[in-house]
This record gives sequence, C-alpha cells and structure tokens, in this order.
Amino acid sequence: MEERLYDLIFIARPATPEEEIKKVLSGIEHTCAEKGGKIEKTEHWGTRKLAYRVAKHREGIYVYQQIRTNHGELIAELERRLRVQDVVIKYLTVRLDEDLKRQKKLMGKREQRAARRPRRTPPAPPAAPEQTAAAS
Amino acid sequence: MAEEQKQAQAPGGAPRREGGSGGHGGPRREGGPGGGGPGGPGGRPRGKRQYFRKKKVCKFCVEKMDFIDYKRADILSQFVQERGKILPRRMTGVCSRHQRWLGVAIKRARNIALMPFAGSAAGTQAPRPVAAVEAPKA
Repeated sequence: MEERLYDLIFIARPATPEEEIKKVLSGIEHTCAEKGGKIEKTEHWGTRKLAYRVAKHREGIYVYQQIRTNHGELIAELERRLRVQDVVIKYLTVRLDEDLKRQKKLMGKREQRAARRPRRTPPAPPAAPEQTAAAS
Repeated sequence: MAEEQKQAQAPGGAPRREGGSGGHGGPRREGGPGGGGPGGPGGRPRGKRQYFRKKKVCKFCVEKMDFIDYKRADILSQFVQERGKILPRRMTGVCSRHQRWLGVAIKRARNIALMPFAGSAAGTQAPRPVAAVEAPKA
C-alpha cells in the first residue's frame, strides 16, 4: 500500500489540564510507533468556540495532527482509542493525500497554460511575472 | 428568506420596465426562496431579463485555489447563511467545480464543530445559560 496522509483533529473538554492532553498525544504517538506511522505535524489550536454543543460543552481545546502511514489499520486503531478517551469529546480523521494529489495536478496544468499563453499575446503585463515563475 | 431576497437584489440595478403590462397594482411574487424574484412591481421573472445583474466570478478561481481546506472556517463561512446553510451557486457565483469541493469542505468542517449544521443555533447567538455552567445573563 502506498503511503497516505491523514489529518487527525480531536477536541478535548475545555477544562482539561495540560498533562491530560499530553497523555492523549503520547498515546497517539505510541500507537503510531507501534503500527508504523509518522506524525508529520502537531498544532495546538487552543480553546475555540464550538459551532454547536458537543457533550454539553460550547467550547473545546483543539489539537491538530498530520499523520503519514502505510497502514490503514493505524487510523482505525487511533479512532478506537480516541473514542474511549474520556477527555476527548470529538475527533475527526480525514484522508488528505488524494486531494493534495489533485491539487498538484491542477497546479501543474495551470503552470503549463501560463507558460503557453504569453507567446500568443506578447504585451501582457500581468502574465509576465507568471511566465518567469513557470520558467524558473 | 428576507436576507436571501436582499442578496439576490443587491447586485442588480433598478429594474428596467419596458411596456409594463403588469396591470392592476398587485405585484405577483413568485418568491420561492432564492428564486431571484425581482422586488419591483411589474418586473416579471419570466421571459427576458429585465434588470441588470452583475456578472459574478468564482472567488476560488480568481485566487487560483486548487484545494479548499476544511480547516479554514473563515473562508468557508462566507459561503453559508447565518444559520449554516450552504449558499447556492447562483448567489455566490462559485463555479461548479469549486462548489463541489466547497460542499465537501463545509461538511467536513461541520463534522468537527468548526461550522454549524443548518438547523442548529447560530454561532453568533448569545449562549444561553446552561445549568449554571455558563455565567448568568447580564
């Protein structure tokens, strides 16, 4: 299986102490190490207002991670672990690599088009910087 | 409803009347939600467009976005109503491809409570005091 990139966001209860969140994070790390995954990025978004009530809370502590893995079971395992955590009130995992692949493809197409266009209409001031960007 | 109609009218100029056969004063409204029903009496939605509407361009195409991030709630919230309904393309001018991605992104954002589901209370609303957890109303 090829490598896949996933987003993992979880929301902890608003009054969760720092250590509890660290504990959850180390648990995720441990699972990743066990099943063969790599945490690419970890971002703490801090306390944010929720758009709707979750488990009777109106705000929550958001933590965002990007995980790269070859094994789909890792995600299933992570989700199972997050579900049983008491401090985690909501989580979401999204597979991202397909979207990013599509983005890359479209960007390549756009650059090709940008490189082609100035030849037809030489005096095009806004297209000129694009051309140099694509050429370099 | 009211705000939809306002939005639909906002880009259009004054409705031009040509040979108004509208007759007796009762303006016939075909005002479905977002039907773009012109407000002026005599303006008929059928047939020729009688008022000028500004051509809208897709915001994502202008900014050359090939990927709509579900985490950017600030961008996504421009394309929903106050209560979280996704706005139709005819209102926002988003192209079909980007509207498709936008829908997916909004749905993902809803899933993680970054955006409200339609029907749930708007985020702008003052939080109601819930069983002494929140501060009492001032």
